[in-house]
Amino acid sequence: MNQNMKKKGFKHWWTMGMMVLAAVLLLAACGQETSGGTGNGGGSSGDDSGEVIRIGGIFDITGGTGDVGEPYAQGAKAYFEYVNEQGGLDGKEVKLFDIDYAYDVSQALEAYRRLTQQDKVIGILGWGTGDTEAMKELIAEDKIPYISGSYSENLTNVEEHPYNFLSAATYSDQARTAIHWFVENWTEDRPPRMALLYNDTPFGRSPVADAKAYAESLGVEVVDEQVVDITALDASSQLLNMRSKEPDFALIQQTWGATATILKDAQRLGIETQFLGLNWAAGEGVIPLAGDAAEGFIGVIPHAFPFEGLDQVPGLAEIEEYLENKGKSLDDINQKFVQGWHSAKVMLEGARLADELTGEGLRRGLEQLNEFDTGGLGAPVTFTEDNHRGTTAVRLAQVKDGQWEIITDYISYEE
Amino acid sequence: MRNPFALECGEFKVSYKQDMALYKNVRVRRRVLLVMAFFILYPLLASNYYISLATLAAMAAIGAIGLNILTGYTGLISIGVGAFLGVGGYATALLTTKVGLSFWIAVPLAGLITAAVGAIFGIPSLRLKGLYLAMATLAAQVIILFLIVNWESLTNGTAGLIVQRPELFGFTFSSEISYYYLVLAVLTGTAVFTMNLFRTRVGRAFVAIRDRDLAAEVMGINLFRYKIYAFAISSFFIGIAGALMAHYSRVIGPEHYDIGVSIAYLAMILIGGLGSVIGSIFGAVFITLLPVVLREGIAFLSPWVPGLADHYAGIRELVFGLIIILFLIYEPEGLNKIWRNIKDYFKLWPFSYSKK
Repeated sequence: MNQNMKKKGFKHWWTMGMMVLAAVLLLAACGQETSGGTGNGGGSSGDDSGEVIRIGGIFDITGGTGDVGEPYAQGAKAYFEYVNEQGGLDGKEVKLFDIDYAYDVSQALEAYRRLTQQDKVIGILGWGTGDTEAMKELIAEDKIPYISGSYSENLTNVEEHPYNFLSAATYSDQARTAIHWFVENWTEDRPPRMALLYNDTPFGRSPVADAKAYAESLGVEVVDEQVVDITALDASSQLLNMRSKEPDFALIQQTWGATATILKDAQRLGIETQFLGLNWAAGEGVIPLAGDAAEGFIGVIPHAFPFEGLDQVPGLAEIEEYLENKGKSLDDINQKFVQGWHSAKVMLEGARLADELTGEGLRRGLEQLNEFDTGGLGAPVTFTEDNHRGTTAVRLAQVKDGQWEIITDYISYEE
Repeated sequence: MRNPFALECGEFKVSYKQDMALYKNVRVRRRVLLVMAFFILYPLLASNYYISLATLAAMAAIGAIGLNILTGYTGLISIGVGAFLGVGGYATALLTTKVGLSFWIAVPLAGLITAAVGAIFGIPSLRLKGLYLAMATLAAQVIILFLIVNWESLTNGTAGLIVQRPELFGFTFSSEISYYYLVLAVLTGTAVFTMNLFRTRVGRAFVAIRDRDLAAEVMGINLFRYKIYAFAISSFFIGIAGALMAHYSRVIGPEHYDIGVSIAYLAMILIGGLGSVIGSIFGAVFITLLPVVLREGIAFLSPWVPGLADHYAGIRELVFGLIIILFLIYEPEGLNKIWRNIKDYFKLWPFSYSKK
């Protein structure tokens, strides 16, 4: 009896709770027109007097690619904060409205609508390949310049997607450069054999066709390709399949987690293949995850490492200054942070050159960037009216004694 | 004169017509009209962003009603909703771009194609029930997604397809408001059709199958045929929802249709209420708005709770799971039942004990 009454009591509160929730949802639905919302970055709240440069951010902080997405987002946010600390962009406050979309395409689309319709941003720093490609039609229609963390070749067609800008070499160009470099350094008198390891997402598949075509054009034999899940904790079966084809080198298109899995399993299975990881597969985070299996791993590095120091990379001085104000140092960040900072810097340079603070003005501003150098944080970026492929140059680095070591200058397959 | 605020009491149905009416009395009809008026006037009250949220919820509601026809009314579980949405989306994309049909023909056709595909994957339902059927429909999810990713000549692989907004006599449904009304009209049609479906011979057969399939068969219901009907009708609406979503988001790709989508739709009808049209709508609204409300809530609270924002995805999954568990334990009939409880509360007040 008592039990029953208790249950009824709970039911009552449950009902009441749901009523309150319904009321909250209703209120949210009819809520204010312009809430500051998730905005961050700016010190004071944004007003619409035209003196605030409103940029949106769609980041993956907690989702499938959060391992590299979180430091990237931190870097982008930090640059906005830094610019405001320096008195703004030519006196104008910059404001970043950032949303964590947890690598979910439908949430990214929802976030995009919030940023464009509610927060009235004029440009967006985005993240994944799947969601950037899902938005390319909308951003062309809404005229919102978009710099993504995705360097997919599909986004470089200016005629079809005139508002997508790529601040670093595309995945395809990264793969081409890596293959080109490998072939140049190939000493045996038979053609090298290549394998590809990627995940079954638009991000993973993005460079595959181009890489295969380019490799074949150089006389490389493409012997195998294996799909490894982006969150895989085991890649033994794929690597065993791959081993039977005896590739000399394998390209990895993953983020840190799956890359470390591949490297560890390859070491365990005694595979001799040289692994080359594209941008998101390389970087500091893969070393602690893979341990000594990372030894000898070669990464495509479009952006600077913080450890390279100010004399090598003068652009790091700004980052150091920002970090010092926060009581931190360059040791506390990694290369993906630099990458986020670099993208934000390219975006705001476009805003500085914009003739009016609209999406259209920002696009014209970005298209004026000519060999824009962020002080060595990345390869110099050039955009023109008919080319939004900022650069094709990348550097290669190799893990030696548990530390990344740059092994090439900025190189490109085109040269 | 009758008091317009008086609550129903002592009303008797004296004709078959009254008995068959969709709304049991004039007050219910007025209430429904009031709700419809709210939804029609909603764009005047809300900004574009909130209209877009409503559009998303309305499209989800169409799919949820479709799934409810199958799972809620006929008792056949399906974990293939995500893929069926994909069939609808890809069908309309291909029909409008490659075949060149107009939206107004392509979308119903996409519904029919999805119905056909759904019916094919429904064939195992004659022999399989419960968990086994769940696995069979899960296979639909995997197979269809595999086809979408790998049949590149047709689907453009992971890069996806581009879909245009519909046009009618030179008017393009490109604004949020116009698309909202379009979706609202389809949702209304879907809801009215479904409510009427379960007053027909076919619909009653579905319910009979759900309640006791053996008894239904003894009564002369051809189980196989009606189960296939259920799959087809359900998939038709899911396909329509998928097609509308494709034209809304303009670009479709395999990532839009993964297993998570299927689970979200199951959660919609579970939280909303199995075997109820209004419940499907409640559930769709709830699941669509949940991540938004959570995100805004976390952003609101994060100044006081440091580190909260770092766990957004975790919190989202946690709340999602917790809500489903709480509903299963305390209100298996879902939001629909809670809604009825609320109505009863006001109807019976202050004599709430009189109902028990």
